[in-house]
Amino acid sequence: MTIRKLAAALLMLSSPAVAQIRLPVLIPRAPAPVAAANPIEALRTEFAAQAGATTVYFEAGRADLSGQSKAVLVAQAAWLRRNPAVAVRIEGHGDGGDTRDHALALGARRSGEVRDYLLLLGVPAAQVNAMSWGKERPGAGRAVTTLQP
Amino acid sequence: MFFAAIGLAVTGAGASAQTAAPGTPSATVIALPPMTTPDAGAKGNQTLSLAFQATQLIEADLRSTAELLPLKPDPKDYYSYPEVTAPNFQKWRAAGAKALVTGFLQSRPDGRLTFGCYIYDLEKGRELGRKGFVVSQSEWRRAAHKCSGLAYQAVTGAPGLFDTRIAYVAESGIGDSRVKRIAVMDSDGSSHAYVTQGETLVLTPRISPKGNRIAFVSYAGGKPQIRVADIAGGQQQALVPGDAMSFAPRYSPDGSKIAFSMMLGANSDIYVVDAGGGVPQRLTMSPGIDTAPSFSPDGTRIVFESDRSGSQQLYTMNADGSGQRRLTFGGAWYAAPDWSPDGKWISYTLRSSGGRSIGIIRPDGSGEKQLTSGPTDEGASWAASSRELVFQRNEAGGTVGLYRVSIDGSEARKVIVPQEGSDPDWSGVMD
Repeated sequence: MTIRKLAAALLMLSSPAVAQIRLPVLIPRAPAPVAAANPIEALRTEFAAQAGATTVYFEAGRADLSGQSKAVLVAQAAWLRRNPAVAVRIEGHGDGGDTRDHALALGARRSGEVRDYLLLLGVPAAQVNAMSWGKERPGAGRAVTTLQP
Repeated sequence: MFFAAIGLAVTGAGASAQTAAPGTPSATVIALPPMTTPDAGAKGNQTLSLAFQATQLIEADLRSTAELLPLKPDPKDYYSYPEVTAPNFQKWRAAGAKALVTGFLQSRPDGRLTFGCYIYDLEKGRELGRKGFVVSQSEWRRAAHKCSGLAYQAVTGAPGLFDTRIAYVAESGIGDSRVKRIAVMDSDGSSHAYVTQGETLVLTPRISPKGNRIAFVSYAGGKPQIRVADIAGGQQQALVPGDAMSFAPRYSPDGSKIAFSMMLGANSDIYVVDAGGGVPQRLTMSPGIDTAPSFSPDGTRIVFESDRSGSQQLYTMNADGSGQRRLTFGGAWYAAPDWSPDGKWISYTLRSSGGRSIGIIRPDGSGEKQLTSGPTDEGASWAASSRELVFQRNEAGGTVGLYRVSIDGSEARKVIVPQEGSDPDWSGVMD
């Protein structure tokens, strides 16, 4: 219960900061027949809007969560606890300049840190899966929380 | 495989001839007149034509090395079957050659071919070695590669790499529609085949020492996990049971085990497991990222990378995980080590402010030197000769390709493959 209250409080506090983070999906799409026909897309849109962000970023070579990232994850955790039937996959990404195996390990470490933090915030372990893309998807070092159909 | 060796003898390790740096005129000159046949009539013409193709393949093999310089096979130098084992030393000595390769092809009643190959030291006028094979019609190329290997080993003392294979990831398409497939080819680029068909993302293929199995990382289960498969095709299977992410597989030199990385939560450690699968044994316990294990040629030691000190560095340990000690102490990051087949070197990918480049270091930490200047080189794998490495390099224009570099420091050369290529792994000499 305490964690829930804390999470809710942090969510409200952190909203302005969250808005400054680069977001793959920030603007909620207008309700449309497409969204209705595709429930997972509608859920993803809702998750991105209410959690503030689907993605947290990391410094090069590192896997520790910044204060800003933790605020995003607090909001993600709150949404996930409200929607226990929705499973998520944490997709960790290594750094582009890294070597193949180390990028896989670093991406896995980043997604693992995110998963651990979500579990710490009370999200059931069975709801959160972690994986790594290594350096197979270009972009900054990051971990993306993706709702699974 | 219908491939049987019917005799092997190497009577001398190293001809009296000198070996030399690449491209220099003092590379050992080898006479290579067109191989002959005892077959007669129309059959004889057919076999003779195949024998000439085999001779040309051996010429291409030897010409690709730094140490040997073959004379071009000339049809006017045809010799008779008895002359295979009684060659005209004086003629080839006069032509400036230091060594001579002779051989024959003979068709057998069962439809297969007998391939005989002989190497002579012209200065001493004596045989250095011979090899004979019985092969199916479609396998004459492998027998020719074996003959090239015999000549190379007789002159240099090191195993040749002509009958070796390179596994790599063939890449095509752009962006999110990029397709990656495991491909395998002979080291001269022939016999190119795909092991996977692009239905799922695959990475880092590693060939078993006998050249018949392959371990690689597959995303078929939605996350990176090691699978093993027959190169000839057939069912893939997971290396270890369970849901954990696993990657960086590498066979032990005897092929019985695979060392690899596995995630336990957010922690990557090194494990070893029977090549056929089973319960893995954990070798490292550090909270940092331990990955990219590679066995020493005698199988008793493993080199790997770890960031336990705060930056990626190379470490060695006994094959049971004991005796871990740091190998590199440079200011840059060291990754992706590979232990050379002769045991004398460990290659690595150096990450510094200048990008990624390939280097080598002695297992005792001495002799460190850079072989390439980068800035986007990665993932070197040794040739069976321990004199050359294959690695991947990002090219201008955004493509990625395979390159070979010699440890003598000469310029890297591009390996031609049908598409783009990454994650190369060079096999040992196949049985």
